[in-house]
Amino acid sequence: MIVGTAVCPHPPLLLRELTGGQDVGADLRKACEAAVASLVALGPEVLVVVGGADTGGRREPGPAPVRAFGGTESAGGAGGSGTRPEEGALPLSLGVAGRLLDAVGGAVPVDMYAVAFDAGPGPVAELADAIARRPERVALLVMGDGSARRGVKAPGHLDERAFAYDERVRRALAGADPSALLGLEPGLAAELLAAGRAALQVMAAAVARGGASYRPEVLYADDPFGVMYTVAVWSCDC
Amino acid sequence: MLRLRGREYDRDAALVMAIVNRTPDSFYDRGATWDDGPAFERVRRVVDQGADIVDIGGIKAAPGEEIGADEEKRRIVDFVAGVRQEFPDLVISVDTWRASVGRAVCEAGADLLNDAWGGYDPELAEVAAEFGVGLVCTHTGGVAPRTRPHRLHYDDVVREAIDSTVALAERAVALGAPAESVLIDPAHDFGKNTWHSLELTRRLDEMTATGWPVLVSLSNKDFVGETLDLPVGERLTGTLAATAVCAWHGAQVYRVHEVVETRQVLDMVAAIRGVRPPARAVRGLA
Repeated sequence: MIVGTAVCPHPPLLLRELTGGQDVGADLRKACEAAVASLVALGPEVLVVVGGADTGGRREPGPAPVRAFGGTESAGGAGGSGTRPEEGALPLSLGVAGRLLDAVGGAVPVDMYAVAFDAGPGPVAELADAIARRPERVALLVMGDGSARRGVKAPGHLDERAFAYDERVRRALAGADPSALLGLEPGLAAELLAAGRAALQVMAAAVARGGASYRPEVLYADDPFGVMYTVAVWSCDC
Repeated sequence: MLRLRGREYDRDAALVMAIVNRTPDSFYDRGATWDDGPAFERVRRVVDQGADIVDIGGIKAAPGEEIGADEEKRRIVDFVAGVRQEFPDLVISVDTWRASVGRAVCEAGADLLNDAWGGYDPELAEVAAEFGVGLVCTHTGGVAPRTRPHRLHYDDVVREAIDSTVALAERAVALGAPAESVLIDPAHDFGKNTWHSLELTRRLDEMTATGWPVLVSLSNKDFVGETLDLPVGERLTGTLAATAVCAWHGAQVYRVHEVVETRQVLDMVAAIRGVRPPARAVRGLA
């Protein structure tokens, strides 16, 4: 049974050591941590994390891929000779999720799953079913980034279609509407550099399968760097 | 570890020492801070720009009219006291080779004696010990103060600079000077031709490898001018290039005319070395 879900984005800038002297992701991280804390407060027996990656599959816990994004080992993002690749680093989405979980704390066991960024309905439904079938009280943390093409200075430059796409996601999250999320088109999402489409659809399919109703709350919805970040929680009274 | 005026700096901290001349005839500023008013303004400006240390001097390095100890004191002692009063936390260095002047400025509140003429007056180290202040130990090749290099030669200028400055530093500590406040300085252009100064820059890592904190004084000097064939006033770019190389090799204190530009170079090199994070990194990380 899925007792609640949380949606967070996973930009590298949430990893504190990657932004240098300024913590540019502070507000966003605060919202994400609040969402994860809400999830933990629902009393789950297991916390399942789903995040996009190049390939799908279950992942063992590991460090966030700081080195891959140019960081070095020591605190503060500076350590001189950081030249070794990180062993066992998670994909970015799961690594950011792991950081959020570490920050919030709690003793709930965690299972992590990657879903391929380009996963179609088949793999999405397969992972969703596996999660929905679990007998425990499951809390689901989903890394659901929006489009990275929301302006001429955005990472993917401007694509006007980004606004409608992201608004559709925001409304679905604000209305606890899984069917709207299941209707997102993979091809369009890929063109809009929306890294969270597959993960959001895993969440939507898993929740739809369970049939419970959820109270939605959107904690953050903004695009300070041209990428849409939405943070939301769906809580069940079950 | 370097300690100045009670503050501790780890090996990766780079400090800017701003030059404040109380002279009518120094080569770069040509008397701009000879009068009290402009001199205090210069101190306020460099502090505002982020200088960690001011280095106050009363006699220009080049040959010229002889300045006795009394006149040197008249030029700087009250000024040191005034700076100390206005800036209680500022690290004040004084550029002098004379023990009697050193004693007077320590009584006025100096924290560091910049013995730019390489231990010419051996009692200066005793003053550092007596007052518990820092000392900069420089290499001049044994020349007398205010003389120009003339056909000076070394088997290995870097080896000699290391050996002589480390010997001076060890002597000062043996006399009782605080070990964590003693620095060594290869003294570019002092007792050296341009080739020597370039080689000291190129091989400065050998000097930092001694473990003593290294001060470099490169600002607008003749080795920059001869290298680029540029007059005083057009040597900032060359100075900053030499600064970057010294920073890469781990020098810790930079005696300079231009604070802002030096600070930027030091921050940039520190980030390249990986000992200082960028101020703000967002590109590619959103």
